[in-house]
Order: sequence, then structure tokens, then C-alpha cells
Amino acid sequence: MDRRKVKETVLGGLIKNNPTFVLVLGTCPTIAMTTSLFQSFAMGIATTFVLIFSNLFISLLRNLIPDKVRIPCYIVLISTFVIIVQMVMQKFMPDLYETMRAFIALIVVNCIILARAESYASCNKPLYSMLDGVSIGLGFTGALCLIGIVREFLAGGAFAGMKIPGFPAMSGAGASAFGFIVFGCMMALFNFAIQKINERKEKMKAAVLPLGGGSAAPAKEDKA
Amino acid sequence: MTAKFRSMLQGVAALACIALVCGLLLGAVNHLTYVDPLAATYERFAADTGASFSEMTDEEGADYGNGSVVYYARSDDGGIDAFLVSGGGGFGGNVQIYLYIKDAVIDKLVIGENGETYLDKLEKADFYARFVGQDVTSFDPLSVDAVASATRSSTAVKNGVNAAVRYYNEKIAGGESNG
Repeated sequence: MDRRKVKETVLGGLIKNNPTFVLVLGTCPTIAMTTSLFQSFAMGIATTFVLIFSNLFISLLRNLIPDKVRIPCYIVLISTFVIIVQMVMQKFMPDLYETMRAFIALIVVNCIILARAESYASCNKPLYSMLDGVSIGLGFTGALCLIGIVREFLAGGAFAGMKIPGFPAMSGAGASAFGFIVFGCMMALFNFAIQKINERKEKMKAAVLPLGGGSAAPAKEDKA
Repeated sequence: MTAKFRSMLQGVAALACIALVCGLLLGAVNHLTYVDPLAATYERFAADTGASFSEMTDEEGADYGNGSVVYYARSDDGGIDAFLVSGGGGFGGNVQIYLYIKDAVIDKLVIGENGETYLDKLEKADFYARFVGQDVTSFDPLSVDAVASATRSSTAVKNGVNAAVRYYNEKIAGGESNG
């Protein structure tokens, strides 16, 4: 495996191509499922599972799937893994399944999964595709959890299911609208931070380049 | 023409193969994760009431149009009539409800499998409390006020409770299943 490509794939999904904050994909579950940290985490993990396996299988079958029917084939594969997630959750986590039931089925039409299938898995090797699934999935889970923590704390007056005494909870309508506000603010913060990091990197590069080019000596002389 | 036909056939064959493999995979997972609905319902009845249920009194249930009784069981000590009912008319389809009647009074109501997204509004409005404590021999669940902005979810719950009440009055209090 090419180390550079692995690094690019991993960091790409987590930061550079973060599906929630940068690509702004999968906004439906982001708004609907981030009312609590636990739900956000469960939704993220379910999506990550589907991403990993759909990416793997699509990559394995990429040379066999005719171009004209690729989208129906991807949807069949994605829905298979979503149903597997549903079956496993229903068997082993029935309470969680009851609360998330309507949204788990909607993972089939989550645009993150179809986007990664179309743009990455269909033109990369299986291992890289799996890695992309892990990275994008973790990026999505992380983003959901961050929004979940803020929403649960500020709108629900709780943290990880534990009520904070004396902290008022918002009404239903207020909490829903607050979801959009938190999502927007966090997206702005994330992109601001990325921009600042990139600017700093550019500055450092610019500072290092003259030394390499041998133009640092005249600068010293000027100072002297 | 032949090339076009061949390309079409290739597409259909690929899609059919993938669907077949996916079907087999789902079958295998289903075999591993299958939950017997009767056993699951017993467990749920027991967990909700604390009583023991060893047999399903009525596995066939009864249909009342917008609502239906899926299963009915009487606890081993005979004190609790437990129902799994399904209420139609919801926004996301049917809403399943576990409903318990003790001495002709609705003792408890627990929401089961459903596709609704507005049930939290019912909970916040204390909607379920409007049914608990009601005497089923004189109670009309359909007359209970729906929660504004979740009217279809409220209707599904009302239809489900109505099915259980009708079943109780027609088949249990009426004497058909008392034996």
C-alpha cells in the first residue's frame, strides 16, 4: 500500500473532505439524529458500517458492473447492508432500534454513501475503498457527535443522557430550529479552523522556501 | 442491434447476480438474527407488567378496520389482559402498541414498533396518560383529543387503543374468551 495515498485517504475523510462540514452531504440525518450524543454516535456507527462494506463490495465488483446499470447495482448493495444493520440492531439493541427505526432505513438514500461509491470505490482498489469508508464514516460520526453534544447540552439541558440540574430544556420547535443553527455555526467554525491551518502551512512554506533557494543571506546582510 | 442487445443483457445479468448474492447474504443474516415474534411478545408483556405469561390466548387476533389486535394473552395469574395492537392511519404507517388492562381499566400503554417521527410530541403532551386509568367498558378512545401538529400519530394510537377496547368488550368481557 502506498503510504502517501493511505495518509491522504485517512485525513481526507476526517478533515479535508469531511462529509458533514466540508462536503455538506447527509444533512438529513445530521439534523434529525443529533438531538443526543448517544443517538448521534449510533447513527454514525451504522452509517460507517454501511460505508465500509458497500465501498468494499463496489470496489471488488467495479470491473464487473456495467456502466449503464451501476447506480441500481450500488443501491442494491447499499440497501443490503442497511437491512443487515437493521436486523442486527433489532436483535441485539431493540430499544435503540425502536428510537432510530425510521432513520436507519433512510441510510439507503444517504448521499454520502452513494457519493463515495460513485467517486471513490468505483475507481479504487478494495483496501483503499475500505479505508475511505472507515475515514469518511469516522468523519461523519465525529461531526454528528460534536453537534449532538452541543445540541443535547444547550437544547436538552443534558450531557450523554444525564440531566444537568437547573439547566432549562428548549421546547420541541425551538430545539429543531436550534439544530440548524448549531449545524451552521459548527460548519463555519470547522472551515475557519481548516482555513487558518492552511494559511499557517502556506506561511511556513513561504518562510522555508527562501532558505532553500539561497536568498536568505542578503536578508541577513540587510538586517546587519 | 446485437451489440445493443448484448449490452442490455449484460446489465440485466449483472444486476440479477448482485441481487441474488445480496438475497443470499440477507437470508443468512436473517437466519442468525431471527426473532420469534411470539417469544418476543411474551418477553415484552412480562417485562412491562412484571407478571408471567406462558401462553398466547389468541394468536390470530382480530381486525377492526383502522386498528387490529395482533396478539392477546392473559397473565398466568389471570390478573392482566395484555394486548399487542396495531393502529393504522399514522404518518409512517401502523403504530404497534402494547396495552395492558387490569380489572377492566387500562393499566399501561407502551408504544412498540412504528415508523413515526413525531411520537415525542405525544409524549411531551402527556397524550398516553389520557388513556391510562380509563374504564374500558364505557370508554371511547376515538373521542380523545389529538395532539396538534402530530394528529396522524395521535390517530394511529387512538385506533390501536380502540381495537383493544373493542376486543376486550366483545370477546373478553362478553364472555367468549373467559373460559
